[in-house]
Order: sequence, then C-alpha cells, then structure tokens
Amino acid sequence: MAKKSLQQKSVVWSVVSVTTNRSTAMTENNKYWRGIEDQSNPELSEKLAQNEFSNEISQADFLGNDELAESSTSRRDFLKFMGFSTAAATLAACEAPIVESIPYVVKPDSLTPGIANYYASSFYDGYDFASVLVKTREGRPIKIEPNKDAGYNGATNARVQASVLSLYDGARMHHPMVDGAATSWGEAVAKAQSLLTANSVVLTRTVISPALKTAIAKLGLRHVSVDAVSQSNRADVYEVLTGVRALPTIELAKARLVFAVGADFLGDWGGENLNGAYAAARKPGSDMLRHIQAESGLSLSGANADVRIKAKVSEYESVLAHVYNKVASAAGVATVSAPALREDIKLSVENVANELIAAGSGALVMNGLNSASAEKLAAKTNELLASAALNTSKLDFTATGSDSDFAALLEDIKSGAVTSVMTFDTNVLHFSTAMASLADKVSLISIADRLDETASKAVVALPMSHYLEAWSDAIPVSGVYTVGQPTISPLFDSKSAVEILNTLAGGSESAIDLIKASASAQQSSKGWNALLHDGFAEVSAEAVSSGMIDMTGVAVSAPLKGLEFYTYTKAGMGAGNNANNPWTYELPDPVTRLSWDNYIVMSAADAVAFGVEVKAQSNGSMNGTTINITVDGTTLENVPVWIQPGQTQGSIGLAVGYGRTEAGKVGNNVGVNANALLAPAVNYAEAAVAASEVEHGFASVQLAHTMMGRKIVNEINLPTFLSGNAKEWNEKPTFESYKGPLTSFEANLWDDQDHETSHMWNMSIDLNSCTGCGACVVACSLENNVPVVGKDEVRRHRDMHWLRIDRYYSSDMTKEVAEEEGVGAIEKYAKMEVPSESPSVVFQPVMCQHCNHAPCETVCPVGATVHSREGLNHMAYNRCIGTRYCANNCPYKVRRFNWFNYQVNDKFTDVNPSQDDYGRMVLNPDVTVRARGVIEKCSLCIQRIQMGKLEAKKDGRQLTDGEFTTACAQACGSGAIVFGDVNNPKSEVSHLKQEDRAYHLLEEVGTQPSIFYQTKVRNRA
Amino acid sequence: MYTTSKFRKLSALLAVFVFLFSAPTLQAFEGDAKNGKKLFKSNCASCHKLDKKLVGPALTGVTDKYSEEWLTKWIRNNAELRASGDEDAIAIFEEYNGSVMSSFPTLSDQDIFDILQYTIEGDVKPAGTGDLAGGTTVVVESKDYSKQITLGLGLLLFVMVMLLTRMKNTLRLVQGEDPVSILDEAGWFWGRLINNKGFVTVATIVVTVLFLNQAYWWMSGIGVEQNYQPEQPIAFSHALHAGENEIDCNYCHSSARHSKHSGIPSANVCMNCHMYVDGSEITDVSGNLKYDGEGSPEIAKIYAAIGWDSENREYLENYEEQPIKWVRIHNLPDLVYFNHSQHVNAGQLECQECHGPVETMEEMYQYSELTMGWCINCHRETEVQFEKNGYYQDFHEELTEKYHGEKITAAKIGGLECGKCHY
Repeated sequence: MAKKSLQQKSVVWSVVSVTTNRSTAMTENNKYWRGIEDQSNPELSEKLAQNEFSNEISQADFLGNDELAESSTSRRDFLKFMGFSTAAATLAACEAPIVESIPYVVKPDSLTPGIANYYASSFYDGYDFASVLVKTREGRPIKIEPNKDAGYNGATNARVQASVLSLYDGARMHHPMVDGAATSWGEAVAKAQSLLTANSVVLTRTVISPALKTAIAKLGLRHVSVDAVSQSNRADVYEVLTGVRALPTIELAKARLVFAVGADFLGDWGGENLNGAYAAARKPGSDMLRHIQAESGLSLSGANADVRIKAKVSEYESVLAHVYNKVASAAGVATVSAPALREDIKLSVENVANELIAAGSGALVMNGLNSASAEKLAAKTNELLASAALNTSKLDFTATGSDSDFAALLEDIKSGAVTSVMTFDTNVLHFSTAMASLADKVSLISIADRLDETASKAVVALPMSHYLEAWSDAIPVSGVYTVGQPTISPLFDSKSAVEILNTLAGGSESAIDLIKASASAQQSSKGWNALLHDGFAEVSAEAVSSGMIDMTGVAVSAPLKGLEFYTYTKAGMGAGNNANNPWTYELPDPVTRLSWDNYIVMSAADAVAFGVEVKAQSNGSMNGTTINITVDGTTLENVPVWIQPGQTQGSIGLAVGYGRTEAGKVGNNVGVNANALLAPAVNYAEAAVAASEVEHGFASVQLAHTMMGRKIVNEINLPTFLSGNAKEWNEKPTFESYKGPLTSFEANLWDDQDHETSHMWNMSIDLNSCTGCGACVVACSLENNVPVVGKDEVRRHRDMHWLRIDRYYSSDMTKEVAEEEGVGAIEKYAKMEVPSESPSVVFQPVMCQHCNHAPCETVCPVGATVHSREGLNHMAYNRCIGTRYCANNCPYKVRRFNWFNYQVNDKFTDVNPSQDDYGRMVLNPDVTVRARGVIEKCSLCIQRIQMGKLEAKKDGRQLTDGEFTTACAQACGSGAIVFGDVNNPKSEVSHLKQEDRAYHLLEEVGTQPSIFYQTKVRNRA
Repeated sequence: MYTTSKFRKLSALLAVFVFLFSAPTLQAFEGDAKNGKKLFKSNCASCHKLDKKLVGPALTGVTDKYSEEWLTKWIRNNAELRASGDEDAIAIFEEYNGSVMSSFPTLSDQDIFDILQYTIEGDVKPAGTGDLAGGTTVVVESKDYSKQITLGLGLLLFVMVMLLTRMKNTLRLVQGEDPVSILDEAGWFWGRLINNKGFVTVATIVVTVLFLNQAYWWMSGIGVEQNYQPEQPIAFSHALHAGENEIDCNYCHSSARHSKHSGIPSANVCMNCHMYVDGSEITDVSGNLKYDGEGSPEIAKIYAAIGWDSENREYLENYEEQPIKWVRIHNLPDLVYFNHSQHVNAGQLECQECHGPVETMEEMYQYSELTMGWCINCHRETEVQFEKNGYYQDFHEELTEKYHGEKITAAKIGGLECGKCHY
C-alpha cells in the first residue's frame, strides 16, 4: 500500500512539471495586447477577448506524455488515494501540537513581553543620514521610525526605513576571515596589524563620526575617503571658501524661487533631507515656493517642479553659466565665456535668469553636478543675488569624500608606493573599476558588513556590526552631535566599527567607552543618559571663515555632440548600500514604476533612432529591447532600455548600485553595474550604442501612464487656486434627483453605519506635498508584514504592496485640444494614452480608501470584509475563501491576493525575508502573516489604532489628536499624509476635510471613502 | 410570676447582647479588619501567613507580643528600627537569618491598625452549619446516583421480561401448546420489524440524523482544547500559591495589566519567595516532613534554572541559565489578536472569568472553550465599564442616548466587528 502511494506521488509530480513547462513557453511568445499595439494586432485582441487563456494547451501534448501512459494507476485509484490521504491528514491535524512557552530566567526590567520599546539612534551609511527611533519588540528591532524631535534629519526615506531588514541579512559576515577562512578576532587582528605598515592607507567612505576619526588618527596612517556617489568637486569649492570640507545647507523656508540644475534634492542629493522643508514652503498661497528644474533624466525633483527644462548633463555648466552671466551683467560683474545654448532651451533659461533677478534674495540656484566650475557658477549666482536660503556657515558633512585624494592613491598603488590598503565600509572594488584592476597589487584589509566585492578579495576581512547592533556617533551638520546605540546584541561575531579600528590601532577600549569618551569631548550640556535618550545634542559648531567665491579657473565645458551617458541614483537603491535588501528592489521606482532592475533611460526620439522598443506582453508584463553600450572602451552587454517620457534627447542614464555579484542571494546579478562604465568622479561620457538580440522582461507595476482626462489627480495652477472659486476647480460630482442635484454623499441607497458616536478615522493625503519618494511604501511593508514576491510575480502584477504611489504623466492630447483641432473620439483617446515628450508628472499614493459604502463588502459571499463603525473597512483573513470578487469590484484596485504561501514556497526563498530564521525576526508580531488564498489590503494600521485606544483606556483618559498615526503617515517626511479622528473637532484631519482643496478619489462612484486627497497646485500660470 | 420570668428572660438576653457587642471594644486597636485583610493580601501575604511561618513569622497574636507603637515603627521601616539598636528588632532579624523585610513607608497609621486588627480577628468564617455544630465542618457531598438508578431499572426490566415470558409459556403449556424460547420469540419480532418498510425508513433517518449530529459536534470540537491539562516541567500548584497562600495573580503574571501577554513569570520572580521557601517544611497527610527536611525537588528545579546555591544561599557566578520550558495551555490561533490588558485593565475582568477557579487547580488546565462563539457571547453580555474610565467621557452620553438607557455591552461599541480581533 505504502509503496503504491509513493509511486502515485511521482506521477502526480510529473503532471505538475509538464504544465509548468507549458506556461513558461507561453509567456515567451511576443504578443501585444494593449493600447496602440491592440490596433496593430487586432486578431490577438479578439482572441484575448474571447479566451481567458491566451494559448491553449494542446491535449495531444498533455496526454502524449510517456510517463503518463506507463502509469498503472487509474483515475479511480488516484481519487481513492487522494481521499484517503485527505482524511488521514484531517485526522492527524486534530491532535493539537504541544507548544512550549519559555519565559526569561531573569527578565530585564525595561522589557515587558508584548510591549514595544523605543530607542533613539542615528543612521549613517556614507550616503544617507537620519535621526531615528528604533522600535523593538522582545529585544528585536522591527521598525525604524523618524525621530521628529531630533536636531537634524529627523525624517526617514525609503532606504532608512528598509535598513532594519539589512540587520537580519544572513549574507552578512559571520566571523572574521583571514585568507577566506573563518577565524577568531585575535588572529584576524594580529594578521591585519602585520599587514599594516607605515605606507598603508586607510580608505573609507565619508567619515562623520568623531570617535571614528579619533580611531583612524590613532592608526597614524594616510586616510583617504571616497564616496560611491561623489560630491567631491562641490565640496572642494566650499573647502576653499569656508576652510572646512563640507557642503552648504539649504533653508528652503527663506526661498521663493528655486532653480535646480541636475540637483535631485528631493531624491538623493547630499545628506540633507529637504522633503519636509520643500513641502512646507510649497503650501499653496501667495507666497508659495516656485521650483524650476533643469535636468537630463526625469528625477523626483524634476517630477515635482513647476517648470522643467530638458538639458543634457553636459549642458548643465552652460545653463548655469548663461544664468550667471545674466545675473552678473545685471549686477555689473564680469561674466564668463560659455558655449551657446540649444535653441529650444535658450529662451527658457533666459526667463529663469530674469525670474531669479526679480526674486532677489528669495532666489536660490542649486547645482547637482560634481564639478567645481558648475558649483562656483551656482554659488556665485547665489552670492550676487544675496540668496538667503543658502547657508554657508551651517555646513553638512555627510558627503566629503575626495576624488583627487583617491586618484592620487590609485597612482601610488600603481607605482608601488602603497602596498596595503585597509578599506572601511566602502565597496570600492565595485564602484571603481580602476581600483578593481589594481586590487592584485595591494594586500587588502577590509572592514565590511559582508564579504562583498571588496571584502571577498581581502586578505583579512573584519565583520562590522550593523548600525542597530553598534555604538556610533556623528556630527552630520555644524552644531549637531548624534549618537547611535545598539538595540540588539550582535547576531554574528561582529563588532562596532569604532571598536575594530581602535583595536587595530592598539587600543583595548570597548565601543561604549570609546563613544562615551567621544561624547564627553563634545562638551554638550546634555549628560550621557539624556544624550542617549534624545539621540542628539546641540554642540558648538566648528568655526568657519566666510568670503567670496573666487571665479578664477571656472571653465565651462562644451556640451557633447554625440550620445551622452550618465549615472544616477534611484529612490530605493540610493548608493547601493542596501543591495541585498529585498524591500529596496521590490519598491517600484517612483518615476518609471519598475522594480527589481536598473536600465538605461532613453527618450522616445532616441528610442526610435536606435530601434528600441518596449512592448506589453499577452500576460500583461512588459518586455523591452536591450542594447550593448560602450563607454571609453568598456562595453556592457544586453542592458535593458526603458523609454522614459521627459528624458532629454541625446542623453541616456543608468542607475548605480546594481549589478552586484557578492551582495547575497537577493542582490546578486540584479541589473548591471553602471560604475563599470563611469567612475563616480565622472559626470558623463560619450557612449556608443549597438543593438542586441536579447529581450529583457521588466517588472512594471503600472501600465496606464496617463489619466485619460479624468479627475484622478486634481491639479490646478496657482492663479486658479488664488482666485478662490473652489466650486469651479474642485467641482463635486452631483446626481440629479427629485430633490434637485445631490452630491454622492447625499444620494444614498444604503443604510448608513452610525459614524457619529465614538471615533471616525479619516486620512488626508496632500498631493501638493507628496514628492513620491516611496518611504511610506516601505514603512507599510515593514509595519504590516507585506510579503516580498520577487520579479517574476511583479511581472504578473501580483505585487503585494498595500500602498502604491501611482504616477501619471500629462499627455499632449487633452479634451480641449481635441475639440480645438477637431480630433475624433477614437483617435483622441488613443492619443491620450501617450504621455507627452515633456510631461508634467503627478504622484498619488493609493491605499484602501475605506469606503463607507464599499463595493467590496457587498460582493463578498462569506462576509469576510465588513465595515466598522469607526469608518474602517475590515478584512478578516481567516474568513476569506479567496473568490476575489472584492478585488474585482474595487474601483481603486487596492486589494491584493495571496497567490502563494510566500513564507514557505520555494519560489520565494531568494527574495522573501520571512523564509529564513534571521529575516523572520523582522516580522511585526501584532499583525498576522497571511496565508495563501486570501485577499489582503490596507487596514489603516488597525493594530496601531487599537493599541492607541487601549493605551488611553488603560490610562483612563481621552485620546488626543496625533497620539498615534499610521505607518505611512509617520514615515512621510513631507507631512503629506495626515491621519486622525474626524469626530474630534480639534483634530487636524477634521480641519483638512473642510479645505477647499479636499476631494475624494472617484467620488462620482458614490463609495464615500474615508480617505480624501488635497488638490495639487503648481506654481505656474 | 409572669412578670419575673419575663424579666429574667430579658435580662439573660441583654447579658448575651452586652457580651456579644462589648467583645470588640476589648481590643487595643481601632482597626477595620476588612480593610486590613485587603492590605494584608497586597502587602504582606507574599511572606506572611496568619497561622503559619512562611518567609516571615506567623502573625496571629503578634499584637500580644509587641506594642502597637513598636509594630508601627517596625512595619513602616524595620531597617531604621534595627539601626536604632532596638533589641527586639535585631533579635527577629537574626532569628530569620538576616532576611530583610521590605519597608512600607506609604502605609498610614490607620492602615497598620487595620492590618493588625486583621491579625487579631483572622478570617471570619462564613456563617454556616459548620460553625454552629461546634466547630466541626460538615461537608455535604451531593453524589450522582443516576448510574445506579439506570442499572436498577434495567435489572427490573430484565426480570419483568423473564417473568412475562415464563408466564406466557406457562399459559401455553396450560393450553397444550409447546413453549417458545425467548430467543425465537425475539427473532420473530425482529423479522416483523425488518420487513416493515416504514420502520426501516424511519430508523434509517433517525440513525443518520443522530450520526450527522454527532459528527457535527465532533468536528466543531476539533481544535477546541477545553480541559487541556498538559504535564508541566515543574509540578507547580496554583491551588497552593493562588489558593492557600492567596498570592495575587498579578504578582506573578504582572504583564497582564500592561501587555497583550499575561506573561509567565521569569525564574527571578519565583526567587522573590523561593529564596526563603525551599519546600523543606512541606508535610504529608500524616504530618511528617515530606522530604525529610530537605528542599522540595520541584523547587530545586527553579534553583537549577537560575543557578541558586541553596546550601550557601547565593547565586552561582557565571552560571549558564537553563530556561524552564513550560507547556503552553491556552493556545489561540495566530489569526486572532487577544490582549490581556484590554480585558484585565480596561475591562476590569477578574482572571477567573476566563481561566476558571485557578486558585483551586492543583494542576492548571484550560477552563474555557476559547472558541470564537465563547468570545462573542461574552462580548454580547458584558457591560462596558464607562463610569470609571475617562476615555469614554464623551461617548458615554452619546451612547446612552442612542440606546435609550439600555445596557451598553462591548458588542454595542463595536466588540463584534471582525477587525477588532482579526488583523
């Protein structure tokens, strides 16, 4: 009997494998089904409309399987076995498993099981800096929250939010390594010390920690710092000006007009997080900040700008020079010689210069190009305009690496003057091909968190603790001192960075003593405990000299005639420090809406010229052409190309941080290494492009790129807003009735819930403040145990994010244009689908709208989704049987179906963090991990609501507004998301609901959502 | 004559009354024993009992040994009293091996009087037959006789059937017929039944319905572990701790008031008492020392976990702690969120309402079903504790108005909504 059933099993498996092969073959056919492509292949469209499956499985193929024919098992036998095993499994499941419950032997005083503790800390990885609060449960850090009381950057972006998962990365180094073998700390340190000689060099990323600086100084070796995303030449300018190597800080509150050239200050520019200040300065009103962006690729800043000028990277200097010349001649100062601008942007740039002059001290020019000339032009323009927003006495130290020092080091290695290099927290062999080619000439000692591309080549690799396990300190900006404290014991045999460096220098102090000593040297008024509690202290700022920008040596380079190649950073990946963190890959890029990839961004005109296409497949995924791209003799093969509206013609970009080979199972072999073509120090280079045969599959989460003339994002210009006639620009849909026209809230077929008593939770999302950065999406994933599904599933549109940020481009075709030009309806709508070549861009976070007349609730056959009197749409997973009627009936498409048990299925082993013992520790114990076959969606962080209410009940007091909020609202650095109780007349959200700008998404459907949006206002005529 | 006898009776009654009501006035303290009991339970009971030595001495009659003034000083701050060189104080301290009694600076004089009054009066036994019958307690056991009755009736039926058969056969013999054995007769009757379609139909329906009914109940009981009583690594008795010693539940399960978990006490909480109580004083039924004066092997398991050297009365250094692996009794599925503090603190429920008479459980078991129906029923019936909680300040009036003064239960404020427990 047993033997027979085994045989049976193998047959069943073979059947499964046959069908899988079929479906894979299916997806590889190039079939198009959407938009214009529909018209080019009407037969397929017809076929798709008729059949649920695009290709039929041939019966002959299926039954022709030899193994099937050989099998002696009949269908009846099969059913018998099935029935028996089902019954047996059911009976076996009746026995309850024995669950052990193991209390502490000695419980720490500060800890109560089930109650979260928060610790102030600070995050710095050489790229991002943030003051954070770390939420721990039973000793495990599970969430990073912004420390809003902190002195500097008390806001988190997507990368900082995701950083907690990197702690639980099993790919981190578990032991010190010598010659590739695990060893003890004693031996590794002895070996490292034997390699360090007087001519050794310490190569680091930017170091902002006084304790680390002390330790490095103690080593007495030459110290070179280099950054993966370089601001070196900009820092050079301010080093001369102020006497301190740093970058100036920006006070956007003092600006009325910002002109940014290639500076993605909302995405990834410098350590300073400007999102909050930007949103505050752009509150609609007569004093709203105006933002003009000149850039090549469409960045977050460009997407948010009021006016965007398309300039190639090689044109940035001349754009700045032309603006400078205009301002200089107005001020009677000598101009610089600059090549002529392209005709199509000449006028726009001239207008910008005039506007800047008019704005005077309210104007600010920002430069993002790593070029001393460009920075000097921008700085001098600001100086001439007496810009109040640029602060050159409060300096930012988070990006001060020196490209020239690094170049000198490379020369010394080449010449043999340097024979051993100790790297600290810098994956230099990945981002510098020059260094990689010299790696054999030096003995490497590497202090790193994993055996990355650098540490794996090192003789001695020393594991550095994750920032949540380590003691650290930092001076990110003049006058602010922060400390980072461990919130968990090191998971592996690693040590705090400061302790490692100090030990190598012969010291024996522990990390906490080193930080304590460093803190006391800062002479803040706060004691040690207060410093730890707050996470920061105000200290006396470093003295800086002031002066005038010296314009000697400013040379404006001529724009490239040919195709220009540049590198950029993406919101999720940044400089690439979270390269094995699945959340950074799964987060779709805010602009392209692609996840799990980097790719060449190319303008539509160039795409036509190079014969590049991106096409929708029959299963709804996107496939595109790849190209071979050669820069300076180096070729990257089969690089995918994405056609990007808003991209400047003649300029192609590629994001850095990808193409890793030694990052870990998640990050290895995802995308290509952009730095292989262009070193961080170089801004752009001429590229040659050749077609490649290979087709690439993109993981795109959004196929519709325009709003097709509907009011999804309500967007108006400032003069319209100031006219004050909200009924016109924020028209509420009405329905004719015997009572006269009624709004969707008055025209009502349903019995309403009682929403008057107790709470009524609502959320306001200000589309004017939302910059699209994606911090909320990652925060939501963390808080709600949202599974990571990987590229293949995202391609099938099975991404599980509860919160998505839709991005819409404007189209050249509008209803007005169609009327004017007499375009027919079919052609009009076809053209409306096509984004403009220079689109304006809007972002819209969409989560479950918690409709009070929810279409999903009425169609659920089992009552698994029901409404609460507090205005929430509840989802009971254990009741859901997976019919997906609700998802079908949801007008907002926010319901997600669990196609798999992501936490156990083999397919997700490489991507889903809950599949290994470390990654599982990041799960929020207050939220269920959903099983296969159920729908899930935003709960408006009901666990936080319930906890907040309970805390108030325990204290016997009333709730106060803002006492708790949802994860997305908390993570939002620009304050776009406000959550609260509208039944509390004092709450912020109840005021926001009365705003003129407030509207509900698809209000005409009559769903009466609890979420509402605020109209986006652009500061342009 | 009549009047004198009446007078005598009255005076006798009066004497009884005087005796009864004058008794309390004989006491030295003006204390309220009822309040005293409460204070005793919360402050003293973990180390003291009235009639038995625990960590500290038995407290009955303590007011006879020491003055009220001295006791007040001792209770409030015994360390200070010892430091002042008080001989009695030092003597007690030494008698109990230098174990330090906590000081209670927050207790008022009246509180201390109340406690002392309680040590005098002790637990007032509930008025019952036991006390009236000269102090011996008579326990009336209600026995279940249903089995015996069923058996008896069955026997009676059998005898009657036998008798009737016998009679029938006797009558047959009288009529000259052959007697028929009882089995043949039963066979004939069965044949009639089995050939009766109506009977067979009805019987089939009845049997099927009964079977389905049973199957339904059996299946709905899958996963319901009521009365689950696993064997625990330590034979811990709630009856002894919570019952006999009347230790408050929250003393050990302290997080129940604050957290979702009630919390299994860590071994260091056990050591608060078991540093002094090693079980050597435990006696068996006949009054002999159960472990020959040695410590209890069960308590020794705590010592093994935490590394306590009971010989030298000190913690072992660098001891590798051995966590105690209790077997979890109350298992809720992962899909439900339950929070103890919501019920214990905000809802002000007694632990026993869900966990049953824990204070009588020698070995802990799951008292309630812990099914969703069980939760829901309670939410439907339990009134919300509005008055004592400022959280409801505004809602209370609104809700009273809405429900026209009906009882406002947890269900009426949303306690039945899915998302309140499932997220």
